[in-house]
Amino acid sequence: MERNQMRRQLALMRQSFFDQGFLDEQFIQLEELQDDANPNFVEEVVTLYYRDSSRLILNIDQALERNPLDFNKLDNYMHQFKGSSTSIGAKKVKAECTQFREYCKAGNSEGCMRTFQQLKKEYAILKRKLEAYFQQARQAGPLETACRSRN
Amino acid sequence: MGAAVDHVSPMGMSGGSGQRFSCKNKLTALVVDNGGVCQAIQTAILRSYGVETEAVETGEAAVELIASGATFNLIIIEMLLPFMNGPETAKQIRAMGAQSKILGITAFFDERDQQEFLAAGADKYIEKPLSPEIVIPIIRKLDN
Repeated sequence: MERNQMRRQLALMRQSFFDQGFLDEQFIQLEELQDDANPNFVEEVVTLYYRDSSRLILNIDQALERNPLDFNKLDNYMHQFKGSSTSIGAKKVKAECTQFREYCKAGNSEGCMRTFQQLKKEYAILKRKLEAYFQQARQAGPLETACRSRN
Repeated sequence: MGAAVDHVSPMGMSGGSGQRFSCKNKLTALVVDNGGVCQAIQTAILRSYGVETEAVETGEAAVELIASGATFNLIIIEMLLPFMNGPETAKQIRAMGAQSKILGITAFFDERDQQEFLAAGADKYIEKPLSPEIVIPIIRKLDN
């Protein structure tokens, strides 16, 4: 596929992430940090996010199997999950984290379990979208225009 | 929802926004956060503004670093750290006489946590993410 066309598709794909509420302006801040010295910063951070959070998901899944639930432990796990999700701009995931915490505070086991299923869904959807995006970005190749300049 | 971001092109093309803020003087910062992603992003943000930044994962490591003589203009401390929490870390750093600007940061804003952090010696307490709106004024003040 012609490179310009690929880049146009990439731009449309990216815009759809914001339009559909998957990402927020925090993702733009990550993009602003990408430069010649760190040309793959966004993909690296997102890869780190999925690596770290997969462990958290496992921990939360295991914690949700306990009876009774340890809401304090769950809250701590979700604290970390929300922190990293917020930091990459994962808007829908962040919203589910907030909802989960509300159920934790209320001691609502069913609410926690239900919300966590939804969270995992949003997490997986975003992962698929971002993987496709980065793959296409690699195929489209680096841009000739300079990245942000530094003093 | 997407209107605010229409002007920004895909990754790496934000050079259209011009020069980025950078501090004039040598400033140093320490990020204390056990989350790899948050640590990486906060460090990158500060470095992008010209601040020499180190990062550690625990309050104990931060205290040890400062006890060894390291000084920082700015210290950003996560609320929920393993073992010694954010406020306790801030307390111990202040007890050593550190004059650094301390910013407490958390995933979930909580008024009790805020009171605890400020009472422990933090100058400010914010909810993640670390945004330019928060960090640039802090750096400007330190820079002047």
